[in-house]
Amino acid sequence: MIRRVLIANRGEIALRIVRACRAMGIGSVAVYSEADADAPFVAAADTAIPIGPPPAIDSYLSIPRILDAARRAGADAIHPGYGFLSENASFARACEAAGVTFVGPPADVIARMGSKPAARAAVSAAGVPVVPGETPATQEPRDFGDAIARVGWPALIKAAHGGGGRGMRVVRSPADLAEAIAAARREAERAFGNGELYVERVVERARHIEVQIFGDREGRVLHFFERDCSLQRRHQKVIEEAPAPTLAASVRDRLTRAAVAAARAVGYVNAGTIEFLVEGEGDAARFFFLEMNTRLQVEHPVTEAVTGVDLVQLQLQIAAGLPLTLAQDDLTIRGHAVECRVYAEDSRRLLPQAGRLVRYREPRGAGLRIDAGVREGQTVTVHYDPMIAKLIAHADTRKAAIDRASAALREYDILGVKHNIPFLLALLARPEVRRSAIDTRFIDDHLEELSARPSDRHLHAAVALAALAEVRGTAPQAADSGAAAAADPWQTLGPIAW
Amino acid sequence: MPRRLRVSNEFGDWVVEVSGDRVSIPAANVEFHIRAGADGRIHLEDPDGELTGTAARAGGTIWSAVEGDVFASRVQDAAAGATTAGRGHELLASPMPATVVRVAVRPGDRVSAGDTLMVLEAMKMELPIRAPRDATVAAVHCVEGQLVQPDQNLVDLT
Repeated sequence: MIRRVLIANRGEIALRIVRACRAMGIGSVAVYSEADADAPFVAAADTAIPIGPPPAIDSYLSIPRILDAARRAGADAIHPGYGFLSENASFARACEAAGVTFVGPPADVIARMGSKPAARAAVSAAGVPVVPGETPATQEPRDFGDAIARVGWPALIKAAHGGGGRGMRVVRSPADLAEAIAAARREAERAFGNGELYVERVVERARHIEVQIFGDREGRVLHFFERDCSLQRRHQKVIEEAPAPTLAASVRDRLTRAAVAAARAVGYVNAGTIEFLVEGEGDAARFFFLEMNTRLQVEHPVTEAVTGVDLVQLQLQIAAGLPLTLAQDDLTIRGHAVECRVYAEDSRRLLPQAGRLVRYREPRGAGLRIDAGVREGQTVTVHYDPMIAKLIAHADTRKAAIDRASAALREYDILGVKHNIPFLLALLARPEVRRSAIDTRFIDDHLEELSARPSDRHLHAAVALAALAEVRGTAPQAADSGAAAAADPWQTLGPIAW
Repeated sequence: MPRRLRVSNEFGDWVVEVSGDRVSIPAANVEFHIRAGADGRIHLEDPDGELTGTAARAGGTIWSAVEGDVFASRVQDAAAGATTAGRGHELLASPMPATVVRVAVRPGDRVSAGDTLMVLEAMKMELPIRAPRDATVAAVHCVEGQLVQPDQNLVDLT
């Protein structure tokens, strides 16, 4: 059994894992960097241990510091969440060596699936189709050119040891190759500590559909159906949903079988996601293995909403050595769920933002779940991922789930940092999204329309509110408000007082 | 007595009159009737219907949101005259604290509109700083590895 779990992560997912521990009567230990000392997940955990300065490399990515914290706190398991060390085989190995259970698959499975070429070979051997691709003879640009010539233009330059859309560039012509390789390599080196790249054919006009699977130590593998994550920007997921709205029953059946076969072939244990690109429509749709994520996904709540299973609790049960007691036939899809990722970003200029949340109020309502890692007054820093929260809406139908998500986004008050709620609302209002006539390029193709100027009516109302706040809400500013702001840029005088 | 204020944000600037529970923007022929809602929210009513929003100050910026749209504005007395904040000037700067990961140009280099001058990194994303027009690089004010702040001039073009 597991008695105390150290959570080697931060933000909303750390809070999510604390909640699962609490529901199971398991103790929780948070670790945090100096930048997160006042974050909600630190307060929520039973114990919290500081592990270093803000840069992740000195805190959330420091294996010695995390293991030292686990020892001091008496943790017998470590949940890595997603990102950071979650797909780091050395970390999983170091946990086992320290006598601490790693909540995830065995280290050798992480290593194998973490190497994209090895993962492609493994699932291909299990009969699962893969996207045509090639590892160049050397890492020189000329050999990439040769590899692409065989795979076909346009091509994707991808980090061999990457994932999550980082360390990846599309090249459409030989002239762009050198710069794409350099950019992908820099990103891969920084994100994964390994700049090795390979080449894949770009599957145009495809959907990104992934299957959630779970394996236990006795070799049983279940699938928890699929999620459609086609609404992406620069390979970063923006809106995810379950089930996939356009997937024919026959294709769902083949897709989930392929995912289970792939997981079984590599001896998979615990939660994992097998990502596919799906090309074509209806019964004629074809799918290709893209990659396997050997961890919990950001978008796991949509699967929880439609299956009614708490995936984090299930992860902890499997990690404790318990078998899967569910049968595949016990799992059904109920209704439809949509997740919107709320980011601190300037959607019009497509840039991440930082700032202090001078007002932060979440919407509430039936069928609504907000997984957030922030609270009012907290500063969104530049050190980590700019995600503020995930808003998940569940309803009987897809239309009702989208309507519910849209209504909730309009009621979500986040002031003090620019965020992408206007962008999310524009996206959910698009007729193509409403009828799900989209592919992974939809956002990039419609960026300008999706980032359009706000309506005059909203603009005028916001301008009126700003003037009103100046008159009623706050003490008069110094004559030169710019200088006052420079002296204390995040001085908060609070919302309008009435 | 009504207060006349000038509100400026990335979409423009407006003279706004606040008088009791009425707020108007004369140039846009807009007048809202204001009513307090629950939890610090504010309802704005005009002949087209009702909108709900909220506002809060952070330093010299007033943030306001209406039905999911969010704005960062500067507010000053209308008598103070037109503001120049953020309008039309060529400041090649990071939009946020960031690390310079690559400087692609040196003083004297000729660049074309759209050329990458330098690459910054923040929040695990690369942010290229590109030339807004054809120009010659007059000076570079940062080095690779340096942490730069918003509104800090990174490069001069002539």
